[in-house]
Amino acid sequence: MHNPFLPYPVRIAMLRVETEDKNLRTFKFEFVNPGDEEKFAYMPGQFAELSVPGQGEIPIGIASSPTEKGSVMFTVNRVGQVSSYMHNMKEGDIMGLRGPLGHPYPLDTLEGKNIIIIAGGFAVTTLRSTIVWMLQPENRPKYGRITFVYGARTPGLLCFKDDWSEWQKRDDIDVHVTIDREAPGWSGKVGFVPAVTKEVCPPPENTAAIICGPPVMIKFTQPVLAEAGYSPDNIIMSLENRMKCGLGICGRCNVGPEYVCKDGPVFTLSQLNQLPREY
Amino acid sequence: MMSLEEISQKIQASAKRLLAEGRAEVVIGYRRGTTPLTVAPHFARTAEDCDQLVWSSFAKINLATYLPKYPGKVALVAKGCDARSAVGQVVENQVLRENLYIIGVACNGMVDVERILAGEPRPAFEATEDQATIKLSGEGWITSLAREEVLRRNCRVCVSRTPSATADEVIGDQTEPLSADDFADLKELAGRSPADKLAYFKGLVKECLRCYACRNACPLCYCPVCFVDETRPQWLGKSQDEMDTFTFHVLRAFHCAGRCTSCGACETACPMDIKLREFNRVLESEVQKDWQYTPGLTWDQKPPLTTYRPDDEAEFIK
Amino acid sequence: MAEYIVKENALRAFFQALAQERRLLAPVRVGGKLQMAEARPEEVTLDYGNTHQSPKSAFFPQTERLMAFHKDTAQSDPFVYKPLGLDKITPTVLFGLRPCDAQGLAICDQVFQNDRFTDPYWKTKYESSIKIGLACDQPGPACFCTAVGGSPYGEAGLDALAAVKDAGLALKAITEAGAEFLKKLPGLESGAAESELAERRKAVESKMPGPLDQAKVAAGAILDIFNQPHWKDTADRCLNCGTCTFVCPTCHCFDIQDEQNDKGGVRMRNWDTCMSWLYTVHGTGHNPRPTKTERMRQRFLHKLKYIPLKQNGQSGCIGCGRCVTLCPVNIDIREVAKQMNG
Repeated sequence: MHNPFLPYPVRIAMLRVETEDKNLRTFKFEFVNPGDEEKFAYMPGQFAELSVPGQGEIPIGIASSPTEKGSVMFTVNRVGQVSSYMHNMKEGDIMGLRGPLGHPYPLDTLEGKNIIIIAGGFAVTTLRSTIVWMLQPENRPKYGRITFVYGARTPGLLCFKDDWSEWQKRDDIDVHVTIDREAPGWSGKVGFVPAVTKEVCPPPENTAAIICGPPVMIKFTQPVLAEAGYSPDNIIMSLENRMKCGLGICGRCNVGPEYVCKDGPVFTLSQLNQLPREY
Repeated sequence: MMSLEEISQKIQASAKRLLAEGRAEVVIGYRRGTTPLTVAPHFARTAEDCDQLVWSSFAKINLATYLPKYPGKVALVAKGCDARSAVGQVVENQVLRENLYIIGVACNGMVDVERILAGEPRPAFEATEDQATIKLSGEGWITSLAREEVLRRNCRVCVSRTPSATADEVIGDQTEPLSADDFADLKELAGRSPADKLAYFKGLVKECLRCYACRNACPLCYCPVCFVDETRPQWLGKSQDEMDTFTFHVLRAFHCAGRCTSCGACETACPMDIKLREFNRVLESEVQKDWQYTPGLTWDQKPPLTTYRPDDEAEFIK
Repeated sequence: MAEYIVKENALRAFFQALAQERRLLAPVRVGGKLQMAEARPEEVTLDYGNTHQSPKSAFFPQTERLMAFHKDTAQSDPFVYKPLGLDKITPTVLFGLRPCDAQGLAICDQVFQNDRFTDPYWKTKYESSIKIGLACDQPGPACFCTAVGGSPYGEAGLDALAAVKDAGLALKAITEAGAEFLKKLPGLESGAAESELAERRKAVESKMPGPLDQAKVAAGAILDIFNQPHWKDTADRCLNCGTCTFVCPTCHCFDIQDEQNDKGGVRMRNWDTCMSWLYTVHGTGHNPRPTKTERMRQRFLHKLKYIPLKQNGQSGCIGCGRCVTLCPVNIDIREVAKQMNG
């Protein structure tokens, strides 16, 4: 019987400091046991429990795309006991990875549509996964226009700079990276995510938005999309709540009858509109 | 002796008057419970709400627990121990005196519901009471218990049955304080070996579920975050590990030392009927011995363990 | 299905046979309380209302070690968790489960074995056990199984059901597993139990509360019930102590914790409670259920709205009455259910 509580042993293959405040670190894990990578078959939008023996587990969205074989990537914010411990780990250290958990973004039902992907801060992780996946030659033709809006407070707090600067050079994705205020050396867009979204979002016909970011960004971006004519069915969001098991058993992450871990974390705005705001 | 009905009516009248005068926005008292031998805490905000207020021998919870951080002016229906706890909260700056009105009730002790139920295997569907008798009845049977016989343990050694010194008004015939706990059993315990004592106290909490109902029911436990809930650092493990469980109870007892009014709310709330007061009694006896202090009897005396005096004994500091 | 009569003078032999076949869990006194616990045949009683705590700990212990790791780099797999306890499940028979509690366990089973995941720690214990119920002839003042779709003679979640008859037992198999188990039990005499059980069922049910009307709760929108004004009033007196959740047969929430020393460590789960502030607080400090009002509301919505939504209308409250009896401030789920439907 498969034991969904038991983590796959993984080795930290690469780690890098992601942001200038050093609060974000990106980890690439390689599976210790052959065959585990195949068992850990995931899609963009899913998450996993990063499991440090003796410390505990934290649920983190998967930042790599399943098309990037050989490793799985996560970006970890230093907030609690496990994440702080992880920030002191080294390449080569052994820990655990449990998942994949949750549902991915509905990439199949989005086929044929224009997509606007809106990200704020380090919540960009699963959206990086999504974009990498969509830009694959075998996947790109399934979608219409792809627009990417990404904002952070300062240039140094933007994640995955190598990725989005590459995307900026492509003609099959419109990339709008913005920072909150003017900063030395920054020649890109300046302004908050909602304002940039208003400026660049495609017409709502046959278009879906995927949003992931801090609550304040979501709060002010939703009305922009509503005003632009996006229906709540076409606004897709990913929730976070305190989690433990990730399997819809231990309670705690529920929003109404839905468990964020098992039934989410991806929900449409129309689903969320029917549920208590307990997240 | 004033009947329970008369006391209830007087509580209702006071409550209505206090609400009407704006002296209180809410009167916290008791109303009838939904099962035999229970009452429910009742928050009366209108004259109509006040009609449900009752006095009963089943009022085992301490209503002062609701006071800290309660916004606005509150009138509290208080037994002696509730009033002492409320006074303690004012002394410890958790409750503003001007926001508190104490409706003191002369208390004849509350009954030990767990003990009554344990002694009666047949399911009881109704309980009636007066100042002398508790009557229980079920399918085809009825039985009477003398109130005095089934009093709670703490009520047998209550030094402040009527909170006349601190209450803003007192309802009922003044009841005389009983002789204080002489801690006779503790003297016997004190003579035992440290290993025996440890075994005794560990044995007390063997059935503990770590639900912390004792803490939540306790009028002294008003910390915004309890030490058992701290996560960084996490002081205690969360399992049923004997030492972690024991540490919780010992630490909680020390936090309450010199503040506990022996209201017994912890024991009442405990779903496993653990004799939690035993931990507190050890410390109460020490506080009484060293400082001759009994908490919650006056508005101006601070608990000895929360005060500093230049002439405090300091010989233990080497 | 097979039917049996166990005469009074054959009771001891019956319990001995149960204990010989499997580990026997039955209502026995533990620390002054009647509990579903490991029992010697001579200790088993037929005379009780219900066990003090629910029997869920038979399959979901309050503290359960899930896995362990070691730190010895000279050995294989240092810092790699290996599962604990799954390879040595003791075959168990539970005797004396009240039908309400058996229903409660069946509700938990739907959570531990949900539409996406199976919890092996639960499954291995739950599915390998034989559950023999003892019908309830003397429901207490806080009993209301009949109000939430159950019966003191209910069969859900049971492999066999017994009722006390002439100080002995009338017994019938309910599932194949139950029939198989009873068939192999030495010394068990066949006898007509079914009609007796059916008759007695009617008689006891007639003394019990009628159905609690939850039609409006079932039909109502989640947000409408969530936003009802009565929550604040009930929460006034709630202590958030969590007693209700610890004694509830369908409360299944847990926390996962790691503990370690210099040689290695374990990962375990411990019962947790939605009454706790810590239960939902985010790493950022944000808490989606910041006060006792939200936490108390969550529990009732979970029992009376969310579980019915997820489990085909089955109430998440099975009417055992433990929370009603043990709540220190007399919050009565029957009253709350009426308010929710009001």
